[in-house]
Amino acid sequence: MTIETTGLVYRYGAGEAEATALDGVDLALADGEFVVVAGANGSGKTTLVRQFNGLLSPDEGEVRVDGVPVSEDPVAARTRVGMVFQDPRDAFVAATVGADVAFGPENLGLSRSDIDRRVEAALDAVNMGGREDERLDALSGGEQERVAIAGALAMEPAHLVLDEPFTGLDEPARRSVLGRLRALHRDGTGVVVVTHDLRDVFPLADRVVALADGRVAVDAPPGEAVEALAALDVRVPDRVERDVTDVATATPDSDPC
Amino acid sequence: MLSYVPGDSLAHRLDPRTKLFVQVAFVLAAFAHTTVPGLAVLTVVALGCLALAGGSVRRTLWSYRYFLPFLLAGPLLEALTWGVPWVVLGDAVDPLLASYRVLLVFLVSGAYVRSTPVRDSRAAIQRLVPGKPGRLLGVGLSLVFRFLPVLKRDLFASRDAMRARLGEERPVHERMRIVATAGLNRAFGRADRLSVALRARCFAWNPTLPDLRFSRADAPAGTVGLLLVVWALV
Amino acid sequence: MATSTDSVELVGDEVTRNLARAALFAALMGAFAYVSFPNPLSPGIPVTLQVLGVFLAGIFLGPIWGGFAMVLYLLAGALGLPVFSGGSAGFGALVSQTGGYLVSYPFAAAVVGLGVHGVGDLADPRLVSVGRLVAAMVAGTVVIYTLGILGFWYVGDVGIVTAVVGAAVAFVPVEALKIAAAVGIVRSEAVAAR
Repeated sequence: MTIETTGLVYRYGAGEAEATALDGVDLALADGEFVVVAGANGSGKTTLVRQFNGLLSPDEGEVRVDGVPVSEDPVAARTRVGMVFQDPRDAFVAATVGADVAFGPENLGLSRSDIDRRVEAALDAVNMGGREDERLDALSGGEQERVAIAGALAMEPAHLVLDEPFTGLDEPARRSVLGRLRALHRDGTGVVVVTHDLRDVFPLADRVVALADGRVAVDAPPGEAVEALAALDVRVPDRVERDVTDVATATPDSDPC
Repeated sequence: MLSYVPGDSLAHRLDPRTKLFVQVAFVLAAFAHTTVPGLAVLTVVALGCLALAGGSVRRTLWSYRYFLPFLLAGPLLEALTWGVPWVVLGDAVDPLLASYRVLLVFLVSGAYVRSTPVRDSRAAIQRLVPGKPGRLLGVGLSLVFRFLPVLKRDLFASRDAMRARLGEERPVHERMRIVATAGLNRAFGRADRLSVALRARCFAWNPTLPDLRFSRADAPAGTVGLLLVVWALV
Repeated sequence: MATSTDSVELVGDEVTRNLARAALFAALMGAFAYVSFPNPLSPGIPVTLQVLGVFLAGIFLGPIWGGFAMVLYLLAGALGLPVFSGGSAGFGALVSQTGGYLVSYPFAAAVVGLGVHGVGDLADPRLVSVGRLVAAMVAGTVVIYTLGILGFWYVGDVGIVTAVVGAAVAFVPVEALKIAAAVGIVRSEAVAAR
């Protein structure tokens, strides 16, 4: 099960204002991989991942999820590739936690008992079990982020894509979200994190893909990517080794959420 | 403020569709029988509804206080006459009864609001309105419930920001323009992000419908509604 | 777990976007009930932005989705969301003496939308002449007051003169302020129309 892009080109605007966001991207993400998509602001990161589930359609090239072109079966792509957006507050569709997480499975027409089971499992996976009836409005930023992740998990995706998941979160909230991502990855879900700041996710990543000018500029394991990334204006940890041990000892038992 | 209060009263346990039906039936009966005996019967029904929902008359009417001046205005203005004797109390009787029936309707809708969570109301609409319109209304309602507090905060923030910059000295239509523009921009920006999120979660025309089940308690309540409708028609 | 995807009928992108905008507009309409401004003509009665919201729905969402946004607003209020005057809610508001005004909102938004955009695709409101904008909003105001007065007349069981006096005269002049504000909003180029 993979996400594959071939010769992806995407332009936005028209006429004089036309700009190329993606300029020939070939990429294959394997199942269960933890991939960080990095790059400076405006490098095309968000544009790229939104092709994975057909939220944007390429001007040239093709995206396949598990071998099926996304344009042919967007529902399959959107169930296999779950997506968590940058500002989760604007992505909730209901006032309470349970009703929001149920939205995706309801769209798939599942039975009510299947939906309840998925909602429960998804909320458990982000340490929000038993809080179905709470108002989203009353939750902290980190809790909202985790509910947004649960909303994507309720589709039982093979890959979970998160766009800048740490923006605006304080340190404990970042830690708790990171802990959840680590656990999901350990249980076999592919994780794709889009970010301009690698410091949080660096120790977890199997692979770093960096974009520059709409092309893949770096595609390597994190250890090998550091210097090239620094040249692209991507923030990397000052001392790689130290952070690795920090996170390794911080999870899963001392998961602070 | 009038709003849903969690509880286990008889009204809380009724299916929202039954409660909507009783409300509509009550309005029909109240408009068909705006007479002293008719309204006397309906007073008992309205007080019963409110009691079954655990609500209080005083607090329910207080939440409708902005509407009350209009209830008074009708009878008062009708009683006035251009010329001697200036005031004809007899002219005020019909409008007074009309206002009283609205007061009773307030009590019944107060009972509904108090005993029905918005989730149930939304489910009722999605089940009562078939097909695509029902889907659009159901999701639309869910979004309105979700975003009202968010947009209220947006508006308060822009009003406060305007005040902080001595905006109080500007003419009223200018201030309205500034606050409304800010609110509109925030709302549309959020809507555009929201629509992408809806698509990512397979927003579909044919979802699993919300769970609603009639219970034994719905039978007597439904009968009351039915009786009201029949009474309204005879 | 394999999920059958054949049976899922996705809502189109354009409808999804319009629904999101209409729903957030309805929520904004509700939020408008909480922000009041001093009335320059009668200081006792504060002015809210609500009728301005009706105008803006027609202008920015067009006749269909603008009308739909108003339907959502009324339905949300009738079902218990506190979005009517003074944070009240419930079906009762729609069948009270002032219910005619509320019920008129979807029709008025549609009339304003038709006046500004005509039928078919929406125009960019910034390119619509001020005369046309004002005419559309005056037409919308006529719809609001016609239904509002009829509502008072019918529900209140009063003569038509009383209905006009009691319901309309006190409020008409401030609508001019709201029309001025709406023109300002459209002209400020600050709102992305489409």
